Amino acid sequence: MTGNTMKRVFVSLALSALLPVGLHAQEVAVGLSANQAQVGEPVQLMVTVRGARGADVPQTLEVKGLRINLAGRSTQFEMRNLKMSSTLTYTYLVVPQFEGEFTIPSFDVRIEGKTFRTQAMRLSVGGGTRVPQTPALPQNTAPLPPGQLPPPTEEGEPFFADLVLSKRKVYVGEVVPVELRFYFNSRIGGQVGERPNFGGEGLTVQKFSNAAKREQVVNGANYVVFSFQSAITAVKSGTLQIPEASLEARLQLPGRAPQGMGDFFNNFPLPQGMFTDNREVTIKTKPAQIEVLPLPKEGRPEDFSGAVGRFAMEATVSPKKASSGEPVNLKVAVSGQGNFEGMGAPVLTGDEGWRSYPPSDKFQSTDSIGFTGEKTYEFALIARQDQTRTPGVRFSYFDPATGKYSELVQEPLAVDAKAGGTTPPVASGTPGTPQAGKPAPSVAPASTPDVTVMAGGATSWTSLFSRREFLIANASLAIAWLAVVLVLTMRKFTESRAGRELARKKVVRDAFAGLKDAGPPDFYEKARDYIYLRLDAGADDLAAAAKIDSSALSPEAKASLHQVIERHGETKYAAGGSPPPSVEERQSVMSILKELEARYEK
Amino acid sequence: MKNRLALVFFLALGAFARADLLSDARARFQDGEYDQAAKLFEQSLEKSPPSAAVFYELGRALNKTGQEARSALNFRRALILDPRFAPARSALQEANVALGIPPVKQGWRTRVVERIPLDALGLAGTVLFWAGAFAGLSAFFPRGFRGGRLVAGILSLLLGLSLVLAAWLCDPRISLANTAVVLTNGGSSLRSSPADQSEKLASLPQGSTIDILSQRGRWFYGQAPGGTKGWFLTEGIVPLIPPP
Repeated sequence: MTGNTMKRVFVSLALSALLPVGLHAQEVAVGLSANQAQVGEPVQLMVTVRGARGADVPQTLEVKGLRINLAGRSTQFEMRNLKMSSTLTYTYLVVPQFEGEFTIPSFDVRIEGKTFRTQAMRLSVGGGTRVPQTPALPQNTAPLPPGQLPPPTEEGEPFFADLVLSKRKVYVGEVVPVELRFYFNSRIGGQVGERPNFGGEGLTVQKFSNAAKREQVVNGANYVVFSFQSAITAVKSGTLQIPEASLEARLQLPGRAPQGMGDFFNNFPLPQGMFTDNREVTIKTKPAQIEVLPLPKEGRPEDFSGAVGRFAMEATVSPKKASSGEPVNLKVAVSGQGNFEGMGAPVLTGDEGWRSYPPSDKFQSTDSIGFTGEKTYEFALIARQDQTRTPGVRFSYFDPATGKYSELVQEPLAVDAKAGGTTPPVASGTPGTPQAGKPAPSVAPASTPDVTVMAGGATSWTSLFSRREFLIANASLAIAWLAVVLVLTMRKFTESRAGRELARKKVVRDAFAGLKDAGPPDFYEKARDYIYLRLDAGADDLAAAAKIDSSALSPEAKASLHQVIERHGETKYAAGGSPPPSVEERQSVMSILKELEARYEK
Repeated sequence: MKNRLALVFFLALGAFARADLLSDARARFQDGEYDQAAKLFEQSLEKSPPSAAVFYELGRALNKTGQEARSALNFRRALILDPRFAPARSALQEANVALGIPPVKQGWRTRVVERIPLDALGLAGTVLFWAGAFAGLSAFFPRGFRGGRLVAGILSLLLGLSLVLAAWLCDPRISLANTAVVLTNGGSSLRSSPADQSEKLASLPQGSTIDILSQRGRWFYGQAPGGTKGWFLTEGIVPLIPPP
């Protein structure tokens, strides 16, 4: 192994080690080298995989009328600021077998366990055979400002732009879809502006669709194409110059090795993008011109309101039944392709006996450029006389495909509308003093200045429910209601068994507490009362004695309780009375009663 | 005592001044000086509680000066204060025709407010509600439960609640609290986002009403009469109910 070979291996290994670190997010894109072909003319289908070192793709794709086989795979590496990105390109050869419109269906591409699904593509195949040729660079490629464009390389131009017009001969007011395509060689990285700049005198430009991104092979080189769709409308006849469209971009263009070092770096298999040149560029299409024809005067309907395109019309009415003065809504939908923004409303026919108002309109586009869609006009109609049919509707437009005016007619629809009007009945008023504060029985015409105004109604912008007085009154009533609820609830509780039990317990507790403060003369009486209450014996000595005997107290305690009752009898009924209880006696009684209290509290 | 007399004197003076303003405005209107009349009506409204009659007269004066959208606004205000004020309704219809605004189908709320005085309805509902609430409660008073009272109370309560709810839903001072009128010459545009260059969803002719849902800077987010929601500039958009 020579020294040079060793160096190449070393550099290659070093770069390979960087690969996993810098791989970008995975992305799969597909593109055809051409969207049109002839029978037998091969077209390339490119599947570009970014941010991966390998992918599982099908070997063949089954499409009737097309033979699609995987032809090969190529890899490109790019290094920017020590970050490595890789691009894998799988190329299929698509050979049309017969003419027709074909859809190459979406298919799965598996990358490191993840499945990505490609987009379906359309290929138009014409009859006859053609000598296969490399797709040519589009005609409208714009020359770039000197000094900005790097020299062309064998891989193709780094970038260019193309304006695709669907027609070159149009009528005033006709909407012409256009597509702006900006091609960037897939070796170039960078950022492009959000919207192109486009517009000029004598034409109006619709808003642009969002950029669609796809891959395309041009002159054997792989390009990333950003396409913007819009539509232009010529506003005057004659030859119309369509100015260039431009898009700002900040690109990382391939650069060259430093001067004098080219030979050295040429010895290594260096990744593309090793040397990059950052530039801000403006990519422009070439100006184009179209011929704008005036709308013919012959055959122009009187009610023609500027609609140019191809349209259909249908109408509905609601409600089908309207009471006096109630409006009927006639909804007219004009659908198709054309200048929806510039066209006027359909006209009503046979609308005598109806009061009509200028219609409201609403446009619903079915594409991104407002070329195809449906515009709905809503006519509010009020019957002057009883009506069984709505007015008819007529819509005139110019069809650029035939070069003639056309007319759409909607016959009247069935409806049952009673007569009514906006003009109020006139009533006389008394000139002079205003009479505010009364209801409004009188009706006065608005146009008569000397009419007394008679109106009642509110004198505040605050509704009744937000007024302070109303809120205070209701809050007071709510509080009163709650208070009554509370009283009733308490009363109910007091009368209930639980309430009574609670009350009795309180009385017993109070009686026991009262014993402590009872004076010597009252002590036995209060003690006896407590025993009666605690045993729930009423005021009957016999019943109390029976309760004591049947209680679970100890025999000593029972005896002591009997003794307390007897002592009470003595103090109350014995002649000469009984001596007051001593302190010891009192303590003894209290301890027995405490035992009784403790047992019954449980 | 002297202070009280002074207060009464000043209050009476203020009332006379307002009455003079209104009389003067009406006299100017009769003489065909509609601009002056409109100014005086506006001054009177600034100094007095709002009145459906004065808003209506202001609307007529503005109508005479060719200010259709502003006159329609004042007719609407008159109708908010007094939904049964037929002249204001007719005048609004005529102003809308002149502005090219199609009539809106009358909903049940409009039908209710055209026939029934809302405050009376709300008060009646409130009385019935509380009568029912207390009657229901009385069923639980001592001397035994009375089922009849409870049923009558509940029915009265529910009826009262329904009336209050109807009055609350129909009251234009509540339902139109977030509604505004386009006064800009040439109308306004409803856009898909709060940016001048965003997609135009619908045109809002001068005099049309919009329900405002929110505001972001100089943009309102709201709903057009057709139900389309979008953004429109705040310039020239005046709330139907004047801010306090």
